[in-house]
Amino acid sequence: MNKAIKLQLSILFLIVSLGAFGQKPSKKTEQDFYEIKTLPIPQDLYLEVGGLATMPDGRLAVSTRRGEIWIVENPYQKNSHQTYYRRFASGLHEILGLAYKDGVFYCSQRGELTKITDTDRDGVADLYEPIYQFEISGNYHEYTYGPVFDKNGDMLVTLNLAWIGFGEGKFSKWRGWLVKIKPDGTLEPLSAGLRSPAGYSINDEGDIFYGENQGDWVGSGRVTHLAKGDFAGNPGGLKWAKEPNSPFKLTLEEIPDNSAPMFEAAKKVKNLKLPAVWFPHAIMGISTSDIVQDSTKGRFSPFPGQYFVADQGQSKVMRMYLEKVNGVYQGFCINYREGFQSGILRERFGLDGSMFVGMTSRGWGSTGKADFGLQRLVWNGLTPFEINEIHAKPDGFELNFTQPVDVKSVKNAASYALRSYIYEYHHQYGSPIIDVKDLKIKGISVSADKKTVRISLDGIRQYFIHEFVLKGILNEEGEPLLHETAYFTLNQIPAGDKLVLNESTKIVEAKVEVEVKEVGGKKELISETQVMALLKKHTCLACHAKDKKLIGPSYEDIAKRGYTSKQILDLVYKPNPQNWPDYATEMAPMSHIPAKDVLKIAGWINSLDKSKEKLLNRD
Amino acid sequence: MKKLLLFLFVPLASFAQQTIPLTDLQAFDQPSSNWTIEGALKAKYTDTSFQVSSGKGVLVNTLRHGKYKRTDDLHFKLNHGDIHFMMDFMLPKGANSGIYLQGRYEVQLFDSWGKKTLKFGDCGGIYERWDDARGKGKEGYEGYAPRQNACKAPGLWQSIEIDFEAPRFDASGKKIKNALFKKVILNGILIQENIEVSGMTRGALFDKEGPLGPITIQGDHGPVAFKNIRFETYDKPTASLSNITYNYYEGKFAEPVIGAAAPVVKGKLAALTHKVIKARNDYLIDYVADLNVPEADEYEFQTHWTGSGVLKIDGKELNSGAHWYTDKVTMKTQLSAGKHRFELIHVKDFPWGPKALGVFVKRVGAHEIAFHDRTSLPDPEAVGLIEVKALSEPVYQRSFTFHGGKKKMYVIHVGDPTGLSYSYDLKQGAVLQTWKGSFLNATQMWQDRGEPQTAEPLGQTVLMDGKFPLVLSSQMQGDSAQLVYKGYKIMHGRPVFYYEWPAAKLVVEDHLNPNKLGNGWERTLKLVGTSPMASMVEAVIGNSPDVTEISPGLIALQGSGYYVQWEKTPALILQSGPGKMQVRVPVQGNSFTYQLIW
Repeated sequence: MNKAIKLQLSILFLIVSLGAFGQKPSKKTEQDFYEIKTLPIPQDLYLEVGGLATMPDGRLAVSTRRGEIWIVENPYQKNSHQTYYRRFASGLHEILGLAYKDGVFYCSQRGELTKITDTDRDGVADLYEPIYQFEISGNYHEYTYGPVFDKNGDMLVTLNLAWIGFGEGKFSKWRGWLVKIKPDGTLEPLSAGLRSPAGYSINDEGDIFYGENQGDWVGSGRVTHLAKGDFAGNPGGLKWAKEPNSPFKLTLEEIPDNSAPMFEAAKKVKNLKLPAVWFPHAIMGISTSDIVQDSTKGRFSPFPGQYFVADQGQSKVMRMYLEKVNGVYQGFCINYREGFQSGILRERFGLDGSMFVGMTSRGWGSTGKADFGLQRLVWNGLTPFEINEIHAKPDGFELNFTQPVDVKSVKNAASYALRSYIYEYHHQYGSPIIDVKDLKIKGISVSADKKTVRISLDGIRQYFIHEFVLKGILNEEGEPLLHETAYFTLNQIPAGDKLVLNESTKIVEAKVEVEVKEVGGKKELISETQVMALLKKHTCLACHAKDKKLIGPSYEDIAKRGYTSKQILDLVYKPNPQNWPDYATEMAPMSHIPAKDVLKIAGWINSLDKSKEKLLNRD
Repeated sequence: MKKLLLFLFVPLASFAQQTIPLTDLQAFDQPSSNWTIEGALKAKYTDTSFQVSSGKGVLVNTLRHGKYKRTDDLHFKLNHGDIHFMMDFMLPKGANSGIYLQGRYEVQLFDSWGKKTLKFGDCGGIYERWDDARGKGKEGYEGYAPRQNACKAPGLWQSIEIDFEAPRFDASGKKIKNALFKKVILNGILIQENIEVSGMTRGALFDKEGPLGPITIQGDHGPVAFKNIRFETYDKPTASLSNITYNYYEGKFAEPVIGAAAPVVKGKLAALTHKVIKARNDYLIDYVADLNVPEADEYEFQTHWTGSGVLKIDGKELNSGAHWYTDKVTMKTQLSAGKHRFELIHVKDFPWGPKALGVFVKRVGAHEIAFHDRTSLPDPEAVGLIEVKALSEPVYQRSFTFHGGKKKMYVIHVGDPTGLSYSYDLKQGAVLQTWKGSFLNATQMWQDRGEPQTAEPLGQTVLMDGKFPLVLSSQMQGDSAQLVYKGYKIMHGRPVFYYEWPAAKLVVEDHLNPNKLGNGWERTLKLVGTSPMASMVEAVIGNSPDVTEISPGLIALQGSGYYVQWEKTPALILQSGPGKMQVRVPVQGNSFTYQLIW
C-alpha cells in the first residue's frame, strides 16, 4: 500500500462559512474593473522589455534585453488592434532603462549611460554618445537601471550588485548605489545599500522610492524611500562609502548581522533606512520591480496619488498607499491586478492614463508563462469595493473604503484576522517571518458616511508589518472586498486622540457558524479542486503548478523526490533552495500556512507519483 | 551553479603527436623534383607563385619541368589507419591541392578565398566519389562542402586538422564499416564533423579500399607549401579493466572516505556504472578493479562525476575533488606493464544534479576508451545557437568578449553583409579581432541569464593587438587612460568611432569599411583639429612576432595571420620587445588609411 495514501486517510476537510447573509451576490473579480490589453508583437521579434518610454506624440518606445529600441505605433490600439514596430536603435548591451526627453533617448546599458539621437531625422538613431561609462567587472548580475530624470534634468541611475553566491559590490565602483549623473557626465553618489534596484521613481513631492527584491540582507521585498545619505540595508556596496565624494561613511563591520530585525540595527546604524512598506515575500510578490505613482488624476485608477508596484515573478501589479507620519513614509500594500503574460519589469503611464506594462522573465521565470510581453492595464471606470487608505492612529488604524460598508459586518470581530510580524536582518538570503503576534480589536467606530472605520487595537508595534485580513467586511450591497488582505508597515505611531471605548465602539463577538463537512467517504483522497483552492489561498500557485515548471518546480517533480508529508511540511516552513539548484528563485519560508493545510497539500503532492515511482526504479 | 559553456570553435584536445621533420625529404616516398625543402616563403595575395628563400622547415611544391603530372603527387612513407593529422599550408592565388587520407579519401585544399558559395571542391571540402556506372552527369556523389568558408588569403599560412577513422574489414577482407571524417578543422573552424564516406575519391592511389595507406598530397595542380606536419596514429594497445566489483554504502558522505561504514550491497560489474543503485544521493560507491596495462607508458585518466570522488591507482590518488558532471578532470600517470589496482570512490551527498560517473583513459598512440557504461554519463544540457546575422545591412552588437584570455567589457561587434566582421573595444579605440563568415554567436549572452555575457565570432578569426593605433613618434602605444571615448555615429550603416586624444590635443575619428574588393577592412584614422603635435602622429598598423615585408606598402604579419596594406609612406619596422615587431607608418596630413586583409 502506498504510504502517501495512508497519511491522508483521516484528514477531514473543513469549510468555514460566516453566514452573515443569505443570498450571496456573485463575487466580483479584478477583471470586472481592470482590463489587460495585449499589444501584439511580431513573431520574430524578441521584445524582452527592459525599458519603456511613453512618447508625447502617441507612440511608445520599448528597449530590450537584446539591446534594441523599438518604437511602437498605435500602442493605444484606438482604431485597430494591430500595432506597428519600427526599430529605432540596435546593438546595445541589455537596455534595462529608457527615457525620452526633448526628442532624444537616454538609456542604460550594462556599462554605460547612453544618449541616442536621430540626427538626420530618418526615424533611426545614428548617434550613440556615452554620458557616463560605469565600471563593470563582467559579472552578469551587475545590472544597470535607468535613467529617471529629476526635475533639474539630471539623471538617476541604480547599480545592481554582482552575484557571487551573495551580493557583492566591491568589484566596480558605485555598485549597490543610487547615483545622480548630470548631462555633462559628472556623477554624484546619493544612497547605498541597494541589492537589486530594478525599479525606482520620483513621486509628486520629489522623493525617490525604489523596489527591492528579497535576498541577502533583505528579508522580503520592499519599497524604500531614498534620500541622500541613506543606506538601504545591503552592505555589498559599502566599499565605496570610503570614497571622498560618498555622502556618508559606513563599513560592513559596523552592520549588525545577528538576525535581529532591521529596526534594531537602525538604532545603531544611523544611515540605515527602514523600508516605507514591506511586501511580504511570496504573498505580495517575490521580486518587486517597477514602482510608479498614479499621476493620471483619476484616469488610471480609482486611487489617484497612490503607487503601483509591479512584480516580475508573480506577473502582477500591486497597489501601495503611503502616508507621512513624523516626516517618515509608511503605508500598506495590497493586490491590484494579477494575470499578466510574463514577468513585469516596467510600468509607464500612457497618454490616456492607461499603464503600459513591459515584461521579460528570461533567467528567472514568472507566473505568466510567456518569455516576454507588452500589455496595457486599463481601468473601466467602475470602482470596486476596496480598502482605499489606511492611516496609522495612536491606538490602531483608520481604514477608508471606496464604498459605504455594511456596519454589522464591520462591527463583527469575526470579520477580521489581524496580526503583526517582522523579518530578520542578516547576510543570509531571505528570512522567515518572526515575532508573530495576533492582534485583538478593542473598539471600532464607523464614520457617518460609513466609508471610514476606526479600529483600536491591543498592541500595535512600531516598525512591524501589520497584516489585515478583512474576510467578513461587506459593503451595503453585501459584497466582500475585491482584495481582503493588506500589509501595513508601521514605521511611526502618530500622536493624537485615541478612540473612546464605549458602548458605541464596542465590537460584537458574534458567534461564527462553522459548518464541518466531511468530504466524500472516509477513505477518499482530498480532491484536486479542494487542493487547488488551498494552493491558491496560500499563494502557492504563484510559483508552482501541478505539471509545469514555473518559478518553482511542478508538484509532479516534487512528488518524484519521495519526501514524506512531514518532510514536505518542514521544507515549506524552512525551504532548502539547494535541493533545487536549477531554479533561479529561492523559495521563501511559508511558515504562516497552517500545518494541517500543508499536510493536506503534501498528501496530494505525493499522490501524484504513484505510477512514476515504479518506472523510476526500473533502471 | 551550473555553467553554460558552448564552444563552436573546438580545436581538438591537444594531442601528443609525432612530427614529420622537414629538414630533408626522408619522410616521403620517391618525391618528384618539384618537392623541395626551403626556409621561408612570401607572396602577395595576388601572386600565383611564391618567392622562396632557402633553408629548412618548409616543404614546397614548385613547377620545375614544364607540366605537372600525377607522379608529382607526394606520398608519405607513413602508412596509416586511424589518424589525427594536422599541418600548416600556404596556397598562392588559384592554387589547388588536397590531402588524401590513406591515399584514398581526399580533403580538398583550394584557394577558395572570398568565395560566397562553397562546394565539395572548395577548401576543406570532402571531395566526391565517382562511379561511371551511375550514368552521365551523375557519376559524382558523396561530396561534402565545408560548413563555411574558413579559407585565408593566398600567401598567408593556414592550418588544417583532420581526425580520420579508417574503414574496417572482417577476416575475409569484406568491409564492415566505412571510412569516417570525425572532424575537419580549417583555420580553427570546425567545418566537417562525422562525415562517413562509402568509398574512395576518384583520384585515389589504389583501386580498392583497405585498412592502411599513405598520406598523399596532391601535387599535380600547382604550387603549394606545408610546414608543421604532425600526426597521431592509434595502433598501440591500451589499458583495460577487469574483475570490476563495487561496494555500496548508504549515508551522507561529504568526502569519498569509507571510514567505518559497512557496505549495504556488493556486486560485480561489466563496466563502471552508477546505475547499480537507485538512490539519488547520500551514498558512497567504491569500485575496485584490475587495471591491465599492456605496455609501460604514460596514461591519462579523465573523470566525470556529480559530487565528490577519488581515483586511485595502486593506492596513489590521481583525480579527485568536488565536480559537476560536465567538468573534465584529467591526470596523467606513468604506469608499468602488468596488473594494477584500480579504485574509484564516488559520493553524492546532495539531491540535485544528475547522478553521473565516467572514466576515460588515453594513451598516446591509442584511442581514448571509456571504462564506464555509456548510460552512466549523461549528456550535457542541449542549448541551441543564438546567432546574430548580418544579412542585408551592417549589424552591430555590444557585449562582453574575451580577447587573449581577458574579458573586455566595452565591446561592439560589427558585421557586414559582405561577410566581414570585427570586434572593437570602445574604451580602447582598438580592433580586437576581425573575421569572415557568419557574424555573431550570442548564446552566452542571451540564453537564460547569460552569465558570461560574452559573444563570439562565428567565422574564421584573426586576433588583433587590441590597442589604440595612434602614437606620437618615439612614444609607446598608450592605453585607455590616455583616451576619452566620445561615442559613435552611424554612417552608411556602419559605426564611426570618436575619441579625444588629450596627449596629441586632437580628436580622432576611426572609420572601418569593407575595402573595394570586399576581402578585408579599410581603416581610416582621421585627425580633427589643429595641434602642434599633429605632425608627430604615427599609426601602429601591426604588432606581431613575425613581420614580412612583401613589397612597398604590403606587409604580411604571419605571426598574427593577416596582411596590412597602405599607400605612399614607407613603414618603420621596430623591435618592440623580445620576439615582438611593430609596424609604424608616420601619418602625413590629417588622415591615414590602411587595409587589414586575411
